[in-house]
Amino acid sequence: MSAKLVLTEEEALELLALLVTSARIQIDEPARYGPLRLLTAADRLSTFIKERASAEAQPMIAELTTTIPDMAMYMSDEERYVPTLDRLCRVVAQRLVEASQNEAAS
Amino acid sequence: MTNPTLDIIKSRRVIRDMTSQPVETEKLEAILEAARWSPTGGNLKLNRFVVVQDPRNLRLLQLVSPGMFQRCPVVIIVCVDWGVVKARELPEHSRPILMDVGAAAQTMMLAAHSQGLASGPVTSFSQSAVQVVLNLPDNLTPEMFVCIGYAEPRKQTGMRGYEKVTWHDLTYWERFEDE
Repeated sequence: MSAKLVLTEEEALELLALLVTSARIQIDEPARYGPLRLLTAADRLSTFIKERASAEAQPMIAELTTTIPDMAMYMSDEERYVPTLDRLCRVVAQRLVEASQNEAAS
Repeated sequence: MTNPTLDIIKSRRVIRDMTSQPVETEKLEAILEAARWSPTGGNLKLNRFVVVQDPRNLRLLQLVSPGMFQRCPVVIIVCVDWGVVKARELPEHSRPILMDVGAAAQTMMLAAHSQGLASGPVTSFSQSAVQVVLNLPDNLTPEMFVCIGYAEPRKQTGMRGYEKVTWHDLTYWERFEDE
């Protein structure tokens, strides 16, 4: 995996603000909102790194940035929401495996 | 027979997707005046309203508000003035304090809708971070945002309800029977 930086300090700060404030508000909100906040962070991170990430990472980023924004609309529909989360987990895991194999081969 | 007030109440929706078109000052002031007429417990008027339109401040608010999905030209922050709460010797957990916040927010959203504007409430924000971002005095706590702007013409995104209900589903009449 490339060692080049894919996030600016400004973008990192924005993500940091989202994570820390989400941690606080989650104490007063329904547990179901926790995954939603993490997805918002994942979407934001994917959007930030899109321009600078490797070509190999682009399919995963595209999948995340096209799928996540609509997920809040059906978070109460578990039969759709949970399989979609599982699909995103598989997409990310696949990218992890590919990156690991590339590293081992180099 | 048509009833414009009921039509406004029933046709209002939470809007997340707004354009960057500025909100006219007279419309904004009409919304704030409507809030002034919203019911308040004991007529104590515990709410204060902070209007944010500067794009830099709007961006900062967004950054500390994970539940603020709107990109809107105006946010009105409904605050509680705890100085008044204390002066009137209201207990801190007195129910009317937050009920007033909700009543003011709803009144503003209806006033917005009646003028062709879109609106949406936000409560998922860090109160302490918002206090820093807006340099609020210690006596004011931000309790709710009302985002205001013009709706994007395209399809709106938002949470679907868990189930469809009518007012009959939500209403009971008189006394409950013993089990």
